[in-house]
Parts: sequence; structure tokens; C-alpha cells
Amino acid sequence: MIQLIHAFKSFKGTPAIQDLSLQVNSGEVYGLLGANGAGKSTTINMLLGFVQPDSGSITIQQMDVTKVYKKVRATIGYIPENVNLYPYLSGFENLDYFCRLAGLKYNRSDLQAFLTSCGLPKEAHRKKVSDYSKGMRQKVGISIAYAKKAKVYLLDEPASGLDPLASNELSDLLKKLAAEGAAILMASHDIFRVREVCHRVGILKNGKLIQELRSEDVTTNELENLYLKYMKS
Amino acid sequence: MWHIIKNEWIGLHRNRAFLGLSTGFMMVLLLTVVLGTLQTHLQQRQYESAKNEVRQQWENLNPMNPHGAAHYGTYVFKPNSLLGSLDEGVNGVTGKVLRVEGHVQNEIVHSEASQMQAVSKFGKLKSALLLQYILPLLLLFVAFRSVNSEKQSGRLKLLVLQGGQLQRLVWAKVLAVWLYGMALLLLTLVAYALASSSSIDANTALRVLFFFLSYGLFYFIISGLTVLLSTLGKNATIALTTMLGIWILWTIFLPNILMSTVDQWHELPSREAFKTAMKADRSKGIDGHNPSDERSKELKEQTLKKYGVEEVSQLPINFDGLRMQADEAYGNRVWDKHFGRLREILAHQKQDYQLAGVLNPFISLQNASMGFAGSDNYHHQEFLVRVELYRRDFIKTLNDKHAYGGSTTGDWQWKVDQGFFKSVSDFVYQPVRLSAVISHYFLDLVLLLAWSALVSLLLIFATRKMPLL
Repeated sequence: MIQLIHAFKSFKGTPAIQDLSLQVNSGEVYGLLGANGAGKSTTINMLLGFVQPDSGSITIQQMDVTKVYKKVRATIGYIPENVNLYPYLSGFENLDYFCRLAGLKYNRSDLQAFLTSCGLPKEAHRKKVSDYSKGMRQKVGISIAYAKKAKVYLLDEPASGLDPLASNELSDLLKKLAAEGAAILMASHDIFRVREVCHRVGILKNGKLIQELRSEDVTTNELENLYLKYMKS
Repeated sequence: MWHIIKNEWIGLHRNRAFLGLSTGFMMVLLLTVVLGTLQTHLQQRQYESAKNEVRQQWENLNPMNPHGAAHYGTYVFKPNSLLGSLDEGVNGVTGKVLRVEGHVQNEIVHSEASQMQAVSKFGKLKSALLLQYILPLLLLFVAFRSVNSEKQSGRLKLLVLQGGQLQRLVWAKVLAVWLYGMALLLLTLVAYALASSSSIDANTALRVLFFFLSYGLFYFIISGLTVLLSTLGKNATIALTTMLGIWILWTIFLPNILMSTVDQWHELPSREAFKTAMKADRSKGIDGHNPSDERSKELKEQTLKKYGVEEVSQLPINFDGLRMQADEAYGNRVWDKHFGRLREILAHQKQDYQLAGVLNPFISLQNASMGFAGSDNYHHQEFLVRVELYRRDFIKTLNDKHAYGGSTTGDWQWKVDQGFFKSVSDFVYQPVRLSAVISHYFLDLVLLLAWSALVSLLLIFATRKMPLL
């Protein structure tokens, strides 16, 4: 479970996050919508323990991120907008390397199973990552988190730049992970994808959570209108 | 840590440009070792042949007066340094042949440089040139992006989230680059050992070990410093340009500036001034060929008194031989005085230049490399001293024969035969044992170690402060 309670953060006097409180439960996908500079990445970096909040509480799996960040990080899978893997290694070798770095020792078939369950076709396992599409790299990125048995997934603009097919595959994968009990926070400005994948949506503006709603309560058009209204106001 | 190092090596191995460059460099490196060793063997053969020829000439001299033979003299050839095929040091510019004769201490002549059409600023293409100038550049090109690329790509965040420790990550990068340098160094030394296996004894092996150690420390400094700049720099280009600047400063500017400064601090007399001063002092002594010289008269009186006779013709020995030897003894004192002072200045210059390693570890490497290869000026001076000691013994043997061999004073027609010439010992040069000279290179090793420690500390500190975002 992900929880932020009254979190504040400012950089050189400029507020980036203001009184942010939100909660993502296990088995839930939460979409954080917002324009560039709204505070989505800062929120994720606070959850990763890379940015310390000025005040407020941030917990993941009931552990205080600011105090036991190393322990917390072991439970997190992080998928940035561009998953930069080692281009000279294959997807398989990248997964193996990142697992070894985390102290995880899997055999060949386990690693292949992780890649396959995250949607990477078997014939691509041994290809160099430099030949991968962005969607394929994301699948390897997710399989790294999956092999780590992450309880929490933090995704920063994951669908940006993906073709419709890859984007759709990503949605399916996130739904599958949530069904397996993961708590997923996805920062995005892709209203359609957020509406389609997330159980709940929060709209962030100038570091403030100005609206929170259930996806099933709105259509994509309604969500878009609402988002635009807030952005223009 | 090993996984990270292995990953770095896989990255290098799968980089075609790097692989091509490394293969090319390895070929050139091996070629220099092979050519260097062949050249050394050739020079060794020439040395042996010239040495034997000169000895044959000496042993086959027609019967002649011993002092005449002292004027005829002989030649001494400088043998190759132990690891001369790896690092030629100063041997290319110092002479190779020294004429040994009575009354005068000749200068060593016939340097290789004097017979070359062109002299490169960087010297001849020897392994040391590649190991000192080119290999560090390769390390620099391998290392400058190492940490920066992880930061710029955002991969560092992923690595840290996977539990990768920054210190371990950065040190693994340093070690990966350093091991690449060490592998090339090892390859060079193994090739050298295979090519010269017959002439490697314990002394040479020990020198190779210290040679390896010195380069190992320097490569660590280069690898560590480049990774440090890659850690600190906002982008890889800054790390590369800064490191290239340091390389140019260390290898081109600072050695020249610091050597000139040391020359100014401890100025050597000009060749002309030195010769004039030697000549002036020498003229104050006994003239071995002038019986009416005041000091000769004094020596004559002492000798007559010692033997209890009135005239030199009554002496049971040849007084001319004694006078010649007294002349030599005085000349030796003059040589000791002037060359002693010269050696003192050179020693001061060496010490201060070694201290310049505080500013520039490349200087320490060069000093250590030449020193352990036995091709620096210190070893050259040692050779000159050994030759002078031989010369003194050689001339004294001839003068003693002249004095005590059975002739009488004034009998310049008295001759010795080939049997005597054969009995005069030849010059045998035993290479200087490392244990006898290692103290002269401690400072270089200590400074290389100090630089390594400094770079290590800076790496630890910089890694602690390294921002992840």
C-alpha cells in the first residue's frame, strides 16, 4: 500500500507539492493526472526516497520512506518514461544482471518465465536491447520489478511514446499485476489510458491534489472535460 | 562487485570500435616488445663482438713498454640495461663507448641519438612509450563516460533501486578500467619474459615486479581520477576534456617546466667551465712525463730516502713508473673532486625532480620505470664510476709493472710481452643489483601510493555526495 499524508515539498522557496494526501491500496491502480510541472515526478521521487518531503508522512507497505528507504526500495518496482537498460546486453542478460544486483539468483528458465509473463516474446529474449522498441524495453523494466516480487509499482509517464498496440499491452500487464495484488501508482497525462487502466484517478495541479474520482464514475470524455477545466482555471 | 565489473567488461568487449582499437594497440605493444628484444639481442651481439675484438687487440699487442701500453689503452663498451628493451631511459642519448687510457679520464661517446637522422620528442618506439603515454589515454577514453552515462540515462536510479550501492558501483567501474590496463601491462611483460626468458635472473625478475607495481599504481591513479571526474562532471564531455587537459599537463608541460626549474636550482657547470677547472687543478699535480717538475723532485727525494740511495740510477726499481703512478693518483683525486661535485649536483637534481612527483605522478612513474629498467641516469653514473675504477686498476697495473717489473729508471725501451697483457684483467660489468639501489626509488613509489590513496579518498567522498537526480 502507498500512502502520502499532508506531504509538502518546495525547491528554493517554490512549492512543488502542497498538502498532498493520497492512498493506493493493494490490487489497485491509481492514475495521477497533471500537466508538466504539476508535481507528478516529485511525488514519485519522494516515494522512491530520492527527494525528502519538507513535512508530512510518506509510507509504503506501512514503512516510513524517509527512515527506512533502503528496505522500502526493495519492495518497489520503478518504471520511468524511458527504461534505459544496457544496450549491449540482451533483455535476458539485463534481467539477469539487475536480479544479481538485487541479490536474487534465478535460473535460466525462471528468468525466461519472467520475461514471457511480462509480454516479451521469446524470440526477443536473446536480442540486444539496442534493437528493442520502447515498449519492449518497458516490458523488460517491468519484468525486473516483477522478478523482484515488487509489491508496489511506480510508473512515470509509462505510455508516453508507445504505439497503440504496445500501450494496450502495457495496460493489460498493469491490470494483471494489480490482480496479483500490487499497488500501482501511474503518473501520466494520457487521459484515455488512465481512464482505461486505473481504478481511481487524481488530478494534480501546482502540487495540489484538486480532484480525486473513481474511473467507473466517469466516461473518458467527462474526465477530459474535467481535466481541461481544472487546467484552464 | 564482480557482476558489475563483468558487465563493464562485456560492454567493452561488445563495442566493436573499442575492440578494434584494443586489438590494434595490443599488436603494436607486442610488436614493440618483439622488436625491442630483437634489437637488444642484436646490440648484445655487437657488444660482445666489439668487446672480444678489443680484448683480442689488447692481448695480441706487440711487446712494448707498459706505460706505452697505458697510452695505447683499451675500450670499454656499455652493455644494454637489464630491461632496456622495455624502457630505454637515457641510454639513447648517453654514449656507449669509453676509451680507457693513462693520464686522462675520457668522456663516454657514440650515443645512438648522435647516429640518428631524426630524434622524436618522445624517444624511440619502446614499450615504455606506449605504456606511459598511450595506454593511459585508452584508460581515459574507456572511463570518462562510465558513471556519467549511468546518471544521464537515469539508469543510476534503477541500479540504486535494485539495491546497488553507489560506492560499490563506482569502485567496480574503477576496477574494470584499471584491470583492462593491467591486462595490457601484463601482456607486455609476459611477452617480454617469453622473448627474453634465457636472460631473466632473480635480479631482473625483481625489477620486472617493481616495474609492474609502478605502472599498476599509475594506471589506478588514471582510472580512479577519470571515474572521479565522470562522477563529478555534469556531462561526460567535461570529464573527458578535463582529463585530457590533465594528461597534457602531466606528460608534456609539467615534466619540462619542473626539470628546467630543477636545473636552475642545481645548476651544472658548462662543459667548457668544467673542463677548464679540471685542467687547472690537474696542472697543479705531478707531471708524470716531466722529471724536472717540482713535485716530481719531491717524490724523487722521498723515494731515494726510502731506499737509502743517492741517485735514481741506484734504485732497484724504475722511478719513472712511480712518478707515472703518482701523476695518476693526483689525477684521480682531481677527478674525484670534480666528478664528485657533478654527481652531487645530479643527485640533488634527481631528489628534487623526484619530489615533483607530488605535483605530477607521471614524473614518479617515469623515474620508477627508468630506475627499475636500469636505464636512468643513476645507473648510467654507476656504470661510469665502475669504468673509472677499472681504469685506475688497469693503469696502476701497467705503472706498477713499469716500476717494479725489473726495469730501471730511464729505460723506456724495456718491454713486456703478450703474456703480461693477457694477465691484465678485462672490464667485466656486473649489472647493479636492485637491492643496492632500490632506496633511490622509494620516493617515487611512495608518491605513487600517496596519489592512489588521494584518488581513493576523493572517490569515496565524491560518491557520498553524488546526487542521484
